[in-house]
Amino acid sequence: MKPFKHFTVNSVDEAVLLLKTYEGRSKIIAGGTDLLGVLKSNILPDYPEAVVNIKNIKGLDKIESGTDGFLRIGPLVRLKDIICSPLIKEKCPLLATAAETVATNEIRNVATIGGNICQDIRCWYYRYPHAIGGRFDCLRKEKKGPCPAVKGDNRYNAIMGGKGCFAVCPSDIAVALSVLDGIITLRGPEGEREIGIRDFYTPLGTVMKSDEIVTEIRSLLPSQGARQSFHKFTLRKPIDFAVVSVASLVSMEGSMCQDAKIALGGVSHKPVRAQEAEQTMRGNVPEEALTAAAAEAALKGAKPLSKNAYKIEIAKTLIKKSLLL
Amino acid sequence: MTNNYRYIGKKIPRKDAKEIVTGKAAFFDDIKMPDMLIGKTLRSPYPHANIQSIDTRNAENLPGVKAVLTYKNIPPWTVGIPPHIPVLDRRLRYVGDAVALVAAETREIAEAAIELIEVEYEPLEAVYDLDEAIKPEAPQLYDFAPQNMVPDALPLGVEGFEDAPLHHIKIGNVEKGFQEADIICQGTCSYDGIPNPLPPEPPGIIVKWEGPEEAIVWSATQSPSWANILTSMFLNFTEIRSIATYCGGSYGSKNMLFNISLHAAALAKATNRPVKIYYTKAEHLNAFVLRPASRIHGKIGMKKDGTLTAIQGDWLMGYGANAPMGFMQLAVGCGEAQLALRCKNWDFKAKCVLTNRTPSGIVRGFGGQELKSSLMPILSIAMREADIDPLEFFKKNYVKDGDGYYWRDSKWHVCEGMDYRKAMEKGGEAFGWKEKWKGWLKPTTEKGTKKTGVGVSLHGNADVGEDRSEAYVRLMPSGEAVVQILVAEAGMGQRDSLCKMVAEVLQIPLEKVKMTPPDSLVNPVESGLVGSRGTYACGTAVIAAAQDARKQLLEKAAEKFNTAAENMDTADGMVFQKDKPEQAMPWFFITGPFQSFTGFGRFNTDFTKPNFMMIFTEVEVDVETGKIEILKVLAATDAGQIINPLALKGQIRGSLGSAGIDTAIMEESVIDPQNGHIMTSNMIDYKWRTFAELPEFDDVILESQFPTHQFKAIGLGEISTAPTPAAVLMAVSNAVGKQFFDYPLTPDKILRALGKIQGAESK
Repeated sequence: MKPFKHFTVNSVDEAVLLLKTYEGRSKIIAGGTDLLGVLKSNILPDYPEAVVNIKNIKGLDKIESGTDGFLRIGPLVRLKDIICSPLIKEKCPLLATAAETVATNEIRNVATIGGNICQDIRCWYYRYPHAIGGRFDCLRKEKKGPCPAVKGDNRYNAIMGGKGCFAVCPSDIAVALSVLDGIITLRGPEGEREIGIRDFYTPLGTVMKSDEIVTEIRSLLPSQGARQSFHKFTLRKPIDFAVVSVASLVSMEGSMCQDAKIALGGVSHKPVRAQEAEQTMRGNVPEEALTAAAAEAALKGAKPLSKNAYKIEIAKTLIKKSLLL
Repeated sequence: MTNNYRYIGKKIPRKDAKEIVTGKAAFFDDIKMPDMLIGKTLRSPYPHANIQSIDTRNAENLPGVKAVLTYKNIPPWTVGIPPHIPVLDRRLRYVGDAVALVAAETREIAEAAIELIEVEYEPLEAVYDLDEAIKPEAPQLYDFAPQNMVPDALPLGVEGFEDAPLHHIKIGNVEKGFQEADIICQGTCSYDGIPNPLPPEPPGIIVKWEGPEEAIVWSATQSPSWANILTSMFLNFTEIRSIATYCGGSYGSKNMLFNISLHAAALAKATNRPVKIYYTKAEHLNAFVLRPASRIHGKIGMKKDGTLTAIQGDWLMGYGANAPMGFMQLAVGCGEAQLALRCKNWDFKAKCVLTNRTPSGIVRGFGGQELKSSLMPILSIAMREADIDPLEFFKKNYVKDGDGYYWRDSKWHVCEGMDYRKAMEKGGEAFGWKEKWKGWLKPTTEKGTKKTGVGVSLHGNADVGEDRSEAYVRLMPSGEAVVQILVAEAGMGQRDSLCKMVAEVLQIPLEKVKMTPPDSLVNPVESGLVGSRGTYACGTAVIAAAQDARKQLLEKAAEKFNTAAENMDTADGMVFQKDKPEQAMPWFFITGPFQSFTGFGRFNTDFTKPNFMMIFTEVEVDVETGKIEILKVLAATDAGQIINPLALKGQIRGSLGSAGIDTAIMEESVIDPQNGHIMTSNMIDYKWRTFAELPEFDDVILESQFPTHQFKAIGLGEISTAPTPAAVLMAVSNAVGKQFFDYPLTPDKILRALGKIQGAESK
């Protein structure tokens, strides 16, 4: 690792001030499970001059059920806290399931939900260690294309919505939040703003500015009786990021699907809501033929690269699994 | 099995257990010394290139930098057989190849200096595929290896290496053999995922020069003599004292410290200070020893009853950018093919092929795993056509007492005293093979989208008796015994097992047996812990040394007791007459304060005792997602007398790691097809099984009393990984109903085989 300054802040204002002072040459650290790897492998051409430790900020580690029908989660809430929270277990088990699929116990004990949402992408061209012959040119880093994954080994890259970059959003929590209509609150020098989880990720990163910090994550509290599920396909049970994941929230009226929300992870730079599949489900009885039709509809727009067509089959399987009673 | 031994075969905690679990044991990175500098490497961004210009001035001027070396200012050392690896070269042959070296006061300074070196490269065309590499028009890596094939090794002409190593099995007449066959099949199978054995501790070395021709090296290795005798040979017999630290795993790979030794030695020479090089995980993953790639174009002739009539083939072993010891792996692999397959007619040629990627080298299985993994699927075609149960086929064809074979030394050896058919049978019974085997390409069970299948494969190696071992055992006035043998601790517990053998010979408490540190200056010559040779070869040497020392003690004691030596005995540090054990005397009374008895023992090469390991496995394939789950593994073997039951079980379970079983389903070093980079450069992308996800694992270990040494034991630690990939591939083929011919079987390949993905092949 290269040397950097390390600041521990006690308030959001203090954090924002520091981030602003360093004009993009600083990084926020909480659990550090992603950032330390990024710094150690020296994958970014702009090495941070400062690291801002936000772990001491009071009040950012709460899980609360608001009166407005939303669940409020502080960005410093650890994944372990989400898994163990009785409130989340009761109202949003899908979120707990998603959190439980992340990495390993040791990592979930320190990794935060804010960090999970803001973590850097896992594309192995982006992550290539600088010490072994140098970084790859990449639109996200050197702002130079074309994306090396397109003609390279793209088995883990995007099958939808690639625009220049074909990395996928690595966050499992974001996929879960996507069907829970999650909203991220950001604070910067100009004050606070809110952004929907599906608009948070852009083809080359996130909408977050370098002097902004996540102060709250809000999630819908699904109605009692709505079926929630989160499925994640990996080669290894622990540690792996999703090859494909599917979150779903299905409300039933008798044997009929009244409403369905389906989100796909591991397929694009952001969690993708399968709106056509949701439409297919609404007002119908979730039988095998219908879920198969929904799965087809969800993947209709997929444009696989040379080595990742298998993701389509896996995604369809997960969708069917999550929609069948 | 019960026996009358005090230590042999008993579950006794390892002597070094406390030291390791309390953190007292010094591993490589614990070694610090005054004035030590840190060495770092600038690595090539190209798979194949020439250095056009290199400017090191900025790096040299950075405060704290003590030396910067390029191909222009290095010592003229070259390693490899034949010699082809200089300290640094103007030609770069893989992404990550060493361009320049820096020694600096700290790691941070060394890393900063690396970034200040300015290089212009002339990129050259690269080649990655084995069959492409041997075409005349392929880019050439070296002048000495036309068409990228290393010329067949010549006889070394020294004792033990009189003949050229085996690289062509030529026995009988294959044309005749094919005429006699009922079934002739042909095929190509590749085992070329070049996985990384990946011991938990990355490789490292410290070199300190004591004089112009005299150096000390500290390294984490399983064979200190390799850093000593072998490296010394390449350096015109420079005097090298090799000291091994505790080693955090090696799986063969840390025998291959030649290159990194030269780097540290050159930097230490240039700075006249000790230099330490300790690889990062990324360097370990991308620029250290990979498993060789293997591809066989083979043709098999077989009778309906499973009798092999002809085996013909070309075996391409891919080593990447260099191959210092490749010839020896080919030689052992050719020997192992004959152990597994009794056949009167052979024409099987092995070739060592070079391509533009990180070099391969010694990895657990030493050619055998690569060979078996690519040969078994081709044999499966013939077995399927004959409708022969593979277990019956192996029982019929595996080497046993009286069967002969050419071994690595190109000499004919005849197996003495081994017959493993009972172990195969017992293994099959314990696994439930008869019930689970439904025939070729037939699943064992089908339920919804999940299909299960079973597979079996085997491996055996006659290297358990390779090369020589020498040991001393000193009986001390204090009643202690000191064992002197150059054996390091790389996780197998072999130092402990050797102490137990000596304690058993001398009948003294285990805590009274001490072993000298693995330091080549202190100990006699020894080849190293390779090829499962620790138990038989090193064991024979220490047993003989202990017996020799005991004999001297008893002879001296006999004088005192006024009797013949054969009437004397010793136990628990006392000597006595066999018929009057109550009149015992401590050793001290025989030695006095200033005398010890030193016994010497030697093991001489013996290639007549092949070991054996059979792996049964059951897998589950999800035909919708292509995901494979290894449900169950059963290892069946005969170890002879077990020396250390827990260490043996540990070694057998090692088949789940060290680039073993998972190379069939997920473990591989993925090479970027355009730029030649290894993309699996961290532990998320490199698919290494974690301890949180181990399959059910059983073993059947027979204890025949083999004609080896006093304790009738044979080693088998190395070979437990070798049968696993082929066994899994067979199980998956049966579950899916299609014969596969390459590894690893990723979801993509499974779904393609099932016709669920159309379009171009992924490879």
